[in-house]
Amino acid sequence: MVLQPLKIRRDGDERLVIEWSDGVTSQVTWDTLRRECPCANCREEREKPADPFRILSEREVQAGAPRPVSMIPVGNYAYKIVWNDGHDAGIYTIENLRELCHIN
Amino acid sequence: MHGPPLTQKIDMPGIRSVIAVASGKGGVGKSTVAANLALALAKTGHRVGLMDADIYGPSVPIMMGLDTVDPKTTPFPIDKYGIKLMSMGFLVDPNQAVIWRGPMVHKAVSDFLTKIEWGELDYLVIDLPPGTGDAQLTLTQTAPLTGAVIVTTPQDVALIDARKGLEMFKQVRVPVLGIVENMSYFAPEGGTKHYIFGHGGGRKMADAVGVPFLGEIPIDPRVTECGDGGEPIVHRHPDSEPAKAFVRLASIVAEQAQLAKSAERLPEVEL
Repeated sequence: MVLQPLKIRRDGDERLVIEWSDGVTSQVTWDTLRRECPCANCREEREKPADPFRILSEREVQAGAPRPVSMIPVGNYAYKIVWNDGHDAGIYTIENLRELCHIN
Repeated sequence: MHGPPLTQKIDMPGIRSVIAVASGKGGVGKSTVAANLALALAKTGHRVGLMDADIYGPSVPIMMGLDTVDPKTTPFPIDKYGIKLMSMGFLVDPNQAVIWRGPMVHKAVSDFLTKIEWGELDYLVIDLPPGTGDAQLTLTQTAPLTGAVIVTTPQDVALIDARKGLEMFKQVRVPVLGIVENMSYFAPEGGTKHYIFGHGGGRKMADAVGVPFLGEIPIDPRVTECGDGGEPIVHRHPDSEPAKAFVRLASIVAEQAQLAKSAERLPEVEL
């Protein structure tokens, strides 16, 4: 049987809670989800050495801590998160979400 | 940093089952299988649509004996042989190439799904282009696919690519209804079967990956003649061996689609 999320809900301000078909309930913070965004641009950024002089964009400053604006299913296999800084390119597969929950 | 416009899964309440016909490799007869499968499903009394998602190389018009039409005067989908059809080939001259990047393909495929009045259908068969690219992704992300039928031929080179198609559907969690082997054998006048391209490859692969084997379609020059002539063999020679094989395929696909329908959709997030 393939692993399936049964229920996904926001818990307080900082995290997401997922109840899985194998009986596990796990959680992951929005900070982790935003930091580990699987889109091509964010992946590339993560692989670069950290830039100590990076300047936040106006939008990033205004947005503050990463919070989701929406999180919608993509096909049968993933969720897309639209963030408060306007970023919306990351498609988090079910497997990806489960792995990120373990990190937390 | 915005991605391409991504539509949430489209609801198609009038359509009971959406079946994608796919292959890893081109030239295995995917469009022939899709067209004959659609007609065979219609023969058993079902309401059927056939959507050609091969934007670069549409085959549905020639196989169904149709040409480009004026979209201002012709409503889509077009009815032929009792099924409803939509294809890029109705809009673009066959001598003209469609030279588009991914986002345009995404838009065309989305429009075919959402802006065409399919009405009430039991089956919408979608003829996919070969490979695992833009059209496939758009469909798996937005269309309420019931499942996919993978078409292969017996050669290793086709089987290797069919495996990639299978892997794609597994990753995007679309049920694979099974594998059908096209051009399996040649049997002159119903005599001995000659397995010209090798024997049993499709069945072996289906067994190895744990999906149903949907059957063998024999080689028969009439399949090509009928396709090129604009009247698929299921309609033109319903008593021929390939036509019977397509009818058997349709009945297994219908059964498998019924089983796959119970697959659960992802839950909405409570934010």
